[in-house]
Amino acid sequence: MLIALAWWGSKCLAAPAPAPAAAQAQAQAQAQAQTGYSSAALYNLANAYARAGKPGLAVLNYERAKLLSPHDADIDANLRHVRETAGVPPEARKGFERLAGIAKPRILAWVGLAGLIVAGAGALARRFYPRRRGLLLAATLVGICLLALAVANAIAIWPVMHEAVVIAHTAPARVAPVPIEEPLFVLPEAAIVSMRAEHDEFVLIQTQAGRMGWVPSTSLAPIVPKRQTK
Amino acid sequence: MSGRSPRGLGAPIAAIAMLLFAVAADAVAAPSVDATIEPSQIEMGESARLTILTSGSGTLSVPLPVVPGLEFRVVGQTRQIQMINGATIESTSTIIRVTPEEAGLFSIPGVTPNSPPLVLRVNPGHGGGSLSQPNGASPGTAPLVPGSSSANGLRLTPDGSAFVRMEIPKHEIYVGESIPVEIQVGMRDGFVASVNGLPKFNSSDFTLNNLSHQPERAARVVDGKPFTVLSWRTLLAAIKPGTFSLNFETPLTVRMRTRPLRDSMLDDLLGDPFLQNIFGATVSKNITVASPEAPFTVLPLPTQGKPPDFGGAVGNFKISTEISSLTNTAGDPLTLRMRVNGSGNFDRVESSMLGATAEWKTYEPKATFNPADPTGYRGEKVFEQPLIASQPGAHIVPPLSFSFFNPVTRRYETARSAPLKVAVSPSAADIAASNPALSANAKGTPADDSHSGLRPDHAESEARVDSLTPPYFERPFLGVTSTVALLFGGGWVALRRRERKTHDLQGARERSRSQMLHALLERMAAASAAGDEGAFFNAARSALQQSLGARWLLPPERISLADVDGRAEGADRADLRQLFMLADEANYSGGPLQAADFERWTELVRRQFAPESPS
Repeated sequence: MLIALAWWGSKCLAAPAPAPAAAQAQAQAQAQAQTGYSSAALYNLANAYARAGKPGLAVLNYERAKLLSPHDADIDANLRHVRETAGVPPEARKGFERLAGIAKPRILAWVGLAGLIVAGAGALARRFYPRRRGLLLAATLVGICLLALAVANAIAIWPVMHEAVVIAHTAPARVAPVPIEEPLFVLPEAAIVSMRAEHDEFVLIQTQAGRMGWVPSTSLAPIVPKRQTK
Repeated sequence: MSGRSPRGLGAPIAAIAMLLFAVAADAVAAPSVDATIEPSQIEMGESARLTILTSGSGTLSVPLPVVPGLEFRVVGQTRQIQMINGATIESTSTIIRVTPEEAGLFSIPGVTPNSPPLVLRVNPGHGGGSLSQPNGASPGTAPLVPGSSSANGLRLTPDGSAFVRMEIPKHEIYVGESIPVEIQVGMRDGFVASVNGLPKFNSSDFTLNNLSHQPERAARVVDGKPFTVLSWRTLLAAIKPGTFSLNFETPLTVRMRTRPLRDSMLDDLLGDPFLQNIFGATVSKNITVASPEAPFTVLPLPTQGKPPDFGGAVGNFKISTEISSLTNTAGDPLTLRMRVNGSGNFDRVESSMLGATAEWKTYEPKATFNPADPTGYRGEKVFEQPLIASQPGAHIVPPLSFSFFNPVTRRYETARSAPLKVAVSPSAADIAASNPALSANAKGTPADDSHSGLRPDHAESEARVDSLTPPYFERPFLGVTSTVALLFGGGWVALRRRERKTHDLQGARERSRSQMLHALLERMAAASAAGDEGAFFNAARSALQQSLGARWLLPPERISLADVDGRAEGADRADLRQLFMLADEANYSGGPLQAADFERWTELVRRQFAPESPS
């Protein structure tokens, strides 16, 4: 019993204490996973972080809110404001992303499924009702268009699934996943990076300028949190 | 003497003979060792031959001598056995190759304590290349063989096996200036066993870009002998001003002659390396081949006229600028690009682009370099800088400048771009701020947070979701979608297969029917030609039964005159009925029929098999 207690104590002492921002993000993620996410709640939370001078967590929650409400002008405006204040260059959305994000992904997903059903049923029905071939062909084409829209939206969102926001004040990026290396460069808070790989407590990131380096995982928070196992 | 009996001398003669025999036997039985070296004077790169001859009745093992600076290797051994006066005498000759590792006078100790030492003189070679030995001995500077030569501006190694050459465009450069340099390592085919490293120089006054591990390879003839030339192209830059000399060295493993040159002349005439290798007349040796020293004068950059924004770029460059869009909305980012084209040290081409102004909010630029040649001496460096116009209106992006030192004109130059005009329209927030009526959003909350510049919070009215992951990437959704897609795909495939099967069945029936018609018509024609009414009408009735059976969905053999009466329609009804009756009549009565009738009935049968027959 004493040995087990001593081992547990040593484990507790040896475990590195997470950074305050990372602990805050983790606690927030757990709380939200229990209560669920809403665009307004995320937006309000981001505003609270922005007012508290935590641009990293603010940008993180704005980006999450954008996933649920991609066309909310308030989210865009505040996100741009916080990024400017933090000295991070704003993101320029490409034409494809604008086109693909004409509606909420949750809606577009079901629209795409409906399109699949319409297209499939139309294609089959043309075999049984040859007299209504024209009408059924039009229905099939409409279904294919809806399906294509959903697929385009999924392709546009896919990179976000692997993006993270720097929530620490600064995040040194190193050439290898060991803390003794001299940093290659330092990421500012609120910067958005792509996650390429993970190793122990480090994440291999790539900046929008194409630079790559290993950053402590406690300095980052993924925009789409992993689903908590119940 | 003559009076003495010979018998009296016999005993002493026999005794002497026995004594002599014993002495002789002892003499040949005792092992002897003799050692010779030839030649006793050689030059670096050659080998001498040490021959150790042992003879005697017993086997004598002779250890190899150990002399620092000389390498001994047994290359052959011969053994000879002789019988002398009943005694077995064994003589062994051991041939040892002695290869010097450095020049000097060497004393090889005798192989037995009583043997005198052997002396070998090794003269240093003479020539351009240098040899450095693995033990760090000082390299010789003279050629090893008289045939070493300078040819075509190249300086060969003493044995003519390799050369290193450095090609540079000029010998006077400025501090920080990069010049393209080509390093060539030539290896005589068959002489050089391997290249043991990249060319390198030992000067700390210059820097060299990384060399590729896969140089260009080309064949070249030097003095009539084939060489393989490896070429590396890279950039060389001087660090500090002064007068320097620079040469490159490359470690190689070469095959060296082990015989004096005069013995190898025939080999050279016949294409030396291969013959030497076949007869074991070469030995591998690690050498370092150096290029001739090249003088450099490195000039300092002038201090006079140095622009304040000079960042160390030396070369000849031009710049151009462009912007991602000439019209924009206030608050939206634009990308300003500056392209620097030309030749020079692009690693020192830097720019801070546009500084923050009242009109523009700027961010740190990022740079990418696109080399136009493998060395990176020529190319284009592109700087990209995000800009945001803070206010709507017509804005000017100021001209950008880039300063460099041009070594051709020997002065600093500044390249400038043209200004860019951008029209910036007001943003939605600016419009809302200027119109109080629009400053409230749909939720009835103020549109702006005056304290922090943030828009106000939202009222939570929408339902919460349990995950931020879009449904596309959720397994249940993917499962449902995949199932639906599979169902439709499977249904479509099943329908296609059924249609194809039906089509195939119809086709088979048509083919069968056509074949049968063909056979029956042939039978009818044969019967008509033979005047056999019975056979003709039987075949005609069978053909009609096939046609009508397929049409009425009845078994053909069960169709009778009664069926024709009850089901047949159209103009051919009477003819059909008559043909059936004639068939019965021909079968049972055997009455005669006219030849013209055959043609008529044949035509009737053909009509019935037509695709759109009236019945």
